[in-house]
Amino acid sequence: MTPGKLSLAVRSVAQHISIIDIHGDVTGAADSALTDAYTSASTSSTIILNFTALEYMNSSGIGLLVTLLIRAQRQGQRLLAFGLTEHYRDIFELTRLNEAITLFNIESDVLESLNISRI
Amino acid sequence: MSVLTVPLRKLIRRNPAPASVRAVETRSASVLSAVEILPNDPLYSLCLSASGVIDLETLRLESDAVRQLRTAGIRLLIPLVNQGELVGMIQLGARMSDQEYTSDDLRLLGNLAPQAAAALRVAHLAYQQQVEARRRERLDQELRVAGIIQQTLLPKAVPSIDGWQFAAYWQPARTVGGDFYDFVPLQDGRLMIVIGDVTDKGVPAALVMASTRTILRAAAERLISPGEILRRANDVLHPDMPPKMFVTCLCAVLDPHTGRMQYANAGHNASLQRTCDGVIELRARGMPLGLMPGMTYEEKETILAPEDTVFMYSDGLVEAHDSERDMFGMKRLETLIGEHRGGDALIAYLRDALFNFTGAEWEQEDDVTFVVVQRHMQPSADPESGDGDSTVLDEFESPSEPGGERAVMERVARAVSAVDFPPARIERLKTAVAETVMNAMEHGNHYRADLPIKVRVQADARRLSVFVTDQGGDVPISQAPTPDLEAKLAGTQSARGWGLFLIKAMVDDLHVSATPTDHTVQLVFHLAGAHDAK
Repeated sequence: MTPGKLSLAVRSVAQHISIIDIHGDVTGAADSALTDAYTSASTSSTIILNFTALEYMNSSGIGLLVTLLIRAQRQGQRLLAFGLTEHYRDIFELTRLNEAITLFNIESDVLESLNISRI
Repeated sequence: MSVLTVPLRKLIRRNPAPASVRAVETRSASVLSAVEILPNDPLYSLCLSASGVIDLETLRLESDAVRQLRTAGIRLLIPLVNQGELVGMIQLGARMSDQEYTSDDLRLLGNLAPQAAAALRVAHLAYQQQVEARRRERLDQELRVAGIIQQTLLPKAVPSIDGWQFAAYWQPARTVGGDFYDFVPLQDGRLMIVIGDVTDKGVPAALVMASTRTILRAAAERLISPGEILRRANDVLHPDMPPKMFVTCLCAVLDPHTGRMQYANAGHNASLQRTCDGVIELRARGMPLGLMPGMTYEEKETILAPEDTVFMYSDGLVEAHDSERDMFGMKRLETLIGEHRGGDALIAYLRDALFNFTGAEWEQEDDVTFVVVQRHMQPSADPESGDGDSTVLDEFESPSEPGGERAVMERVARAVSAVDFPPARIERLKTAVAETVMNAMEHGNHYRADLPIKVRVQADARRLSVFVTDQGGDVPISQAPTPDLEAKLAGTQSARGWGLFLIKAMVDDLHVSATPTDHTVQLVFHLAGAHDAK
């Protein structure tokens, strides 16, 4: 994928649970795409961010995640994530985002914690 | 009718004594000779008190002026009095028709007098204003020249010594001032650094400043101890110092090879040293120069470690007031110096802090002067940097454009593969480089395509450095508040503002330096074996 490009896909894995699959770079340029994806998933009470195909995330991208988190909290939604590399896990810990977005290694771990089997 | 008028120049004398009043000739053939009326002549007093026309034929007054006027053929006097002052006089000879003056003539002249007097007064005041304006203009011009001459007495450039950075700021409250600073290379390779403040402001202070600077330089030719230099300068200055004037002065002698700085202080503000452990005051006892003869000056010394900064300043900084009459103060200065990394960027940082504190309407109360001395953490001067032989792994420019940090990050990562850099730390390096480059492109070069950023990757035996230079010049990095997720979620802090926080968390060390045109951030990563990797 070309650097700076991002594609997002939203899929529902159970009632009121959606996964946003992130492919590419989460930077300041991802603002509208991320907002659109969140809006598509906004009927869910639990939104899971799939970072398995994340290539690069910078401080502006972290800022967007914080904005997303603020919206989710206002809507009473839960935000979870999986697939982060060790480096980005470190960054989530440094920024304490891991305290607001529960992290899992892989998708099945998240689904297991939610007591649902993969569709 | 012949008319005589009073010369204006008699009316603009600066002498407060009453001007004598004298008629002048006009170019008319019928004008009679001028007659001067001295202030001590009784006629002068009569003119001040009389109302209307004075007929000299019927006047009974023992007066030289009256006799001279009669001899000159003057028949009538019409004093021009305005606000109790004799501003002029109309002197009339006989009518050309040889007829007597009629009562209508006298009434006309009587009515004319107050109007003529008022007009003369206005002309007089306008002339005085012109003269005063010319005098002020000449004084202003002289002051401007004095200011230019005074600036030539200050160093034209700061010293350039490998491993050190020097910077200075001088802003007099008036066109000329009493503050000064100086850098004087000594014969043994050391450098004398002086900052001083003459009591008072303006021209008297500037003259004393000029002689003090000369005396200090002369003393430094033979002496190399700061205490001795001040002692000698005090003894030379004291006999000729004008009453109620003296000079506070801080004199330091720096050995650039060792970082040892000896200093003595003649009643000046103690300088501040910023070290890795905090800010300390460099105090030494001594009386101001020129107050008393035979003074001695306590001498002390400090060592400037790499990255240490010594800040010298005049009281115009700490004693500046804001619109509420609160003072800038020492505490604020110490805090600001503790927050900043030093170097010449500290000058702009403190100047901005001062202007922010005082506000745009500030009328500068006193001269403001700073001198900054910083020891660099350069490979050649840094004992921590191993053998000092560094290799440039890559050096390139990159256009400033949104998203441009991504390519720079990847290129730096490729360059680093040439050294023994733990793969686990590559991602940290990439994030630090990307964030630094993004800052440089956005805030330094404002994403202008014609302003590329410069990147240099170099390594020695102990550490890897990535230098990122933008063309933002000597502008301090904005000190965003430390990001706090809870505050951000509560909406009391912006969701953004993570960049500098991330950079600091990713690197082992971070240095910022600036020139008037460039701004460079150095990211330092200790290499395996030299330091416990993060």
